[in-house]
Amino acid sequence: MKRTIAALIMLAGATGATGWIVAAPDPRPADSLAAHQPDIENGKRLYTASGCLSCHLPAKDDTAADRSLPSGGHELHTPAGTLYPPNITPDPETGIGGWTDIQFVNAVKLGISPEGEHFLPAFPYSSYTHMSDADVLDIKAYIDTLAPVKAANKAPALPLGLPVEPIMRRGLGIWKMAAFEPTPFQPDPSKDEVWNRGAYLVTGPGHCGECHTPRNLVMAMDTSRWLAGGPHPEGIGNVPSLRGLKERGRYKDANDLATALEFGETLGYDKMSSGGMAAVQTNMSKLPAEDRLAIATYLMNLD
Amino acid sequence: MNSRLATVSRTLGLGFAAVALSATVAFAGPIEDRQQAMKNVGKAMGQLAAIAKKEAAFDAAVVKSAGDTIAENVKTFKALFPEDSKDGPPETWAKAEIWGNMDDFNKKADESEAAAMAMAAVTEEANFMPAMGALGGSCKACHENYRRPKE
Repeated sequence: MKRTIAALIMLAGATGATGWIVAAPDPRPADSLAAHQPDIENGKRLYTASGCLSCHLPAKDDTAADRSLPSGGHELHTPAGTLYPPNITPDPETGIGGWTDIQFVNAVKLGISPEGEHFLPAFPYSSYTHMSDADVLDIKAYIDTLAPVKAANKAPALPLGLPVEPIMRRGLGIWKMAAFEPTPFQPDPSKDEVWNRGAYLVTGPGHCGECHTPRNLVMAMDTSRWLAGGPHPEGIGNVPSLRGLKERGRYKDANDLATALEFGETLGYDKMSSGGMAAVQTNMSKLPAEDRLAIATYLMNLD
Repeated sequence: MNSRLATVSRTLGLGFAAVALSATVAFAGPIEDRQQAMKNVGKAMGQLAAIAKKEAAFDAAVVKSAGDTIAENVKTFKALFPEDSKDGPPETWAKAEIWGNMDDFNKKADESEAAAMAMAAVTEEANFMPAMGALGGSCKACHENYRRPKE
């Protein structure tokens, strides 16, 4: 926490005249998108795998809200302060109804808003950036089928009263230079299709690394310790390592882990509920069995 | 051994047992007690999970005893989270939110106990999986909000 605050102060301080220019968001142009016929079913699948709703839930005390819709406002405690993930229903005024395809892709894959601001990296674009354009556009097509909800967004509360505006406009651009790698997912040709599907789901949409990979000094996922566990991002205990699950006797095999992801504590798998994992497991239970098995196959083969 | 010596040694033995027993009671705090109760629940859940995963055959006697064990142990939870047991030692994975939401916490414990009793009452295999879903779901509902991830 202290380190994070220090890093944020350094970020703010480093936002000098030079920084102001180089830290400007650099979105992709619309013509960088290949023509795409959206697949709404695939969009729903990826929306679920990405856990969009789990963060973009309505606020807890908003009892009138439909909790199956991502109208935002749910409190998220992060090392960078208290955030209120925004409304991503297709409401044109308060949601993302008016967004173009390229605006959505820039938001999800590069963390850049249509207004040219950097999103705070609690929005896991550091992982989503590894998704294919096609999958991201399918998610948009699925979101466009949801009921629009009018719900205004709430500004984040950063620690020490740090100003939101300059950080989102530029400060985070400096962070991105140090910590953000927008590289497409690279399949490993030496592994089979199931393993590669699992690797893609875990690395990209599933954004498992955001919690299960420890962070380095600039608060980027430390890929040399990929999925090796570490302090919980909300500061409550530790996130378990996903390496050596087999050797450590956590799960017997990929089928066992796939069953755990499907049923969680319903079948007595008591590691599937704490620290936010309950919502993840609920999402996993809604995926096709082949995706759960792919995820489990990839994870069980991490040394 | 004459009878007097036998009486003395018996008395001594009883005395030692009493001391040992009171020592156990005196040294175990609510954190140890609830962790032991959780372990008992976990062990019984393991028996039920084996049936659910078809690693063991459905056995109404096992289901009853496991359900009873879970209900008895969950029943004790509400008394095992006093105000002064937020922090260890020993290390505890209980989240501070428990003490800010005691009514909800107790309600969830009651729901879990009821689900365990319903499980204990299952005699037909057809009713087992729904009971298992409700029971496991009640564990999840509480752990989701009130337990820190460990490891």
